[in-house]
Amino acid sequence: MIAWIKIAVRNILKNSRRSLYTIAAIALGFAAINIFGGFTNYIFHTIQTNQIYLQGEGHLVVFKGGYLEEGRIDPHKFLISREELETIEGILYDLPEVVLVSPQLRVSGLISNGLVSTVFVGHGVAPSHVEFTQGRARGILATFKLYEGRKLQDDISYGVGLSSGLSHILDLREGDQAMAMTTTVDGMMNALDMEVFQTFEAPLEALNDKMLRVSLDFAQSLYDTDSVAQVSVLLADDEDTLSVQKRITDSLPAAGLDMEVVNWMDYAPDYHKVRNMLNIIFLFIFVIVFIIIIMSIINTISMTIMERTREIGTLRALGLKRFGVIRLFAIESALLGIAGSVSGLFVSAASCWLVNAMEITWIPPQFSMPIPLEINLVPAYLSLTFAFMLILSIFSAVLPARKAANKSIVDALGHV
Amino acid sequence: MRPERWKYSRTGRIIIVNSMADKNEHDQPLILFNDVWKYYNDGSAGIAALRSVDFVLRKGELVAVWGPSGSGKSTLCNLAGLIDEPCRGELLFNGVPVSELTDSQRSEKRNQTIGLVFQRFNLVPVLSALENVMLPLQIRGLPYSRAQARAASVLDEVGLGGMLDNRPDKLSGGQQQRVAIARALVNNPLLIVADEPTANLDTENAEKIISLMKKTGRSRNATFLFSTHDERLLSHVKRRVRLQDGSITQDETHRDQ
Repeated sequence: MIAWIKIAVRNILKNSRRSLYTIAAIALGFAAINIFGGFTNYIFHTIQTNQIYLQGEGHLVVFKGGYLEEGRIDPHKFLISREELETIEGILYDLPEVVLVSPQLRVSGLISNGLVSTVFVGHGVAPSHVEFTQGRARGILATFKLYEGRKLQDDISYGVGLSSGLSHILDLREGDQAMAMTTTVDGMMNALDMEVFQTFEAPLEALNDKMLRVSLDFAQSLYDTDSVAQVSVLLADDEDTLSVQKRITDSLPAAGLDMEVVNWMDYAPDYHKVRNMLNIIFLFIFVIVFIIIIMSIINTISMTIMERTREIGTLRALGLKRFGVIRLFAIESALLGIAGSVSGLFVSAASCWLVNAMEITWIPPQFSMPIPLEINLVPAYLSLTFAFMLILSIFSAVLPARKAANKSIVDALGHV
Repeated sequence: MRPERWKYSRTGRIIIVNSMADKNEHDQPLILFNDVWKYYNDGSAGIAALRSVDFVLRKGELVAVWGPSGSGKSTLCNLAGLIDEPCRGELLFNGVPVSELTDSQRSEKRNQTIGLVFQRFNLVPVLSALENVMLPLQIRGLPYSRAQARAASVLDEVGLGGMLDNRPDKLSGGQQQRVAIARALVNNPLLIVADEPTANLDTENAEKIISLMKKTGRSRNATFLFSTHDERLLSHVKRRVRLQDGSITQDETHRDQ
C-alpha cells in the first residue's frame, strides 16, 4: 500500500497545476454545500428560537380537542377550564423535562385611543412567564431588544404592549391610555382601560398593525373568564420535544382529558413550507456541485491515465492485477478528495467567520423587523460532506481506471 | 539441430516434449510454443506477426531471438513473457497451458517467475531507483523493509549501489537499463525476457548490458531470452533463433560463448 500511496502523492505533486484546479473545485463544492447548509441551519434555528423562546410559545402547546380545526370560528367553545388546567399542570410538572407550564389566552376585539378604533388580536400571557421563556433563548437572537419601553408586569395587569404598526395607527406611545373592547365568553360587551408600557415588532408582518401583548389576568378580565385557550410547555432541552409530546399525548386521555398536543414545528406558521423550500434549494445546489465535482475528477484522472498508459502497462507487466490499477487511481483520487475537503473546510470556516463578523442584518419574508444574518458551521454537515466527497472522488476514478486496467498490456506498453 | 525427445503434434509438426514416464522436472521445457500464430488487426486485414511457430526454451538456456524489424521478435518475447496470448496454437509455461490461466493467474506468474526488461526501460518516473526495483516485491506482498533490503542488494549487484535515491531523470540510459535489469532480477525469476534491451543504448553500453544480464542471469540459474536486431550482440549467446516474416528460419546452437 505504501508504494501506491507514494506513487499517488508524487503524481499529484508532479501535476500540481491540474491537481490544484481539481482540489479547488472540490473545495468550492464542499464550501457551497456547507455554507448553504449552515445558512439553512441558521434559518431553522432562528425560527425555532423565535417560536419557542422569543414569542413564548414553548416547545409544546396543549389545546382542547378540536380547537385547531374549529376554534377559529368559535374559540370560546374550546376553552380549558380552571379545573382542567389544574389537572394538566399536575401531569406536566410531574415530567422532569418540563421547566415551565404557561396558560395563555388569545383575545381579539377593538382598541381605541378615544378618537379612533381599530381591531386588535392579543396574546394574554403572564409577563413573568414571558420573561423566563425569553431568558432561555441562546445565540445572537437572545441579545435582541424585543421591545421599546417598560417590561410588562404580573401585578400591573393594565400595562400592555402594542405592535409598532398598531401604535402608529392609533398614535399611541409609552404612557398613553387606550381602551380595549370585546364581547365576553357569555356574549356581553366589555371594555377595559389600559396603559401602553411598550411597543414591539410583531413576529409576522401581517400582524404588525394589530397585535397587542397583555397579561393573562387582563385577557381573562376582558373575556370575563378564568379559562384559558392553550397551555404552553417549555422544556429544558429542545431535543426532548417529540418524546415528551408523545408522553403527554398518552397521559392526558388517561386523566379523562380530551386534548390535542402540538409541537412547535407543526404550530409555527409556514415552518414546514420554509423547511421544504430550503431543502429543495439545497438539493439543487447539491446536484450541481455533485456534477461539477464528478466531471472535474473524471477529467483529471482521465488525463492522468492517458499520460501514464505506458506506466500502467509496465505495472501490469510486473504482475499488478487489474484491481491493483484501479486501486492506484482510486487512491490518487481519494487523496485529491481529502485535500479538497480539507481546503473546503477552511473556506467554509473563513466564509462563516466573515459573514458573522460583518454583522449583516436582513428582514426575512413575513418578518417585520431586521434580524442578524449568520451562517452556522454544523459539524454533522461537515462530516457528512467530507465522507461524501471522499466516496465521490473514489467513485469518479473507478470508471476511467477500469478502462485502463482492461487495456491490453502490449498496447499500453506501446503507447507513446 | 535434431531434437532429443520428440513427438508429432496434432498438426503433424515435430515438437520436443516430456515423456510421460519422464519424472525429471529439469527436462521439462520452460517455454513451449506449439504451432503458435499471432495476428494483429490492421483495420480491414489481420497481419500475422507470428506464423506457425514451434519453439522450445529449456531451463538455464541463454537464447537470442534476432531478425529484421517486423520479423516478430517482440511478439515472440511478449508471448514468452505472458503479457500477450496466441491467437492460435498452444503455449505452455513450465508445463502449464497459458490458455488455462486467468488474467489474475498470469499476473501472478509474471510477478513471481518472469523478469521483464523493456527497450524503453519503462521505469516509473516518480519513484527512485530503489523504489522502482522494490515494485515487483511490493506487488507480491513482501513487507516494505524486506523489499527495501533485497532491492538495495540487487542494485548493488548491478553496480548502482550509490544511486539508490536517484529518480530516472537523474540517470543515464545505461544506468536506467541497469535499474530495469535489477527490477527484473529482484524476484529471482525462472525466466528473464528482454525485448531489445539495448536498442536505445550506444554500442559500448549495449555490450555492457548484455554482459551484465548474462552474468547475473547465470548467477541465478535463470533462463534468458532476449531479442535484438543487432547482430553484433549475438556473439554473447550460444543459441540464436532467427525470425523472418513471423517464422523461425534458423535455430542454431554455437560453441560456448
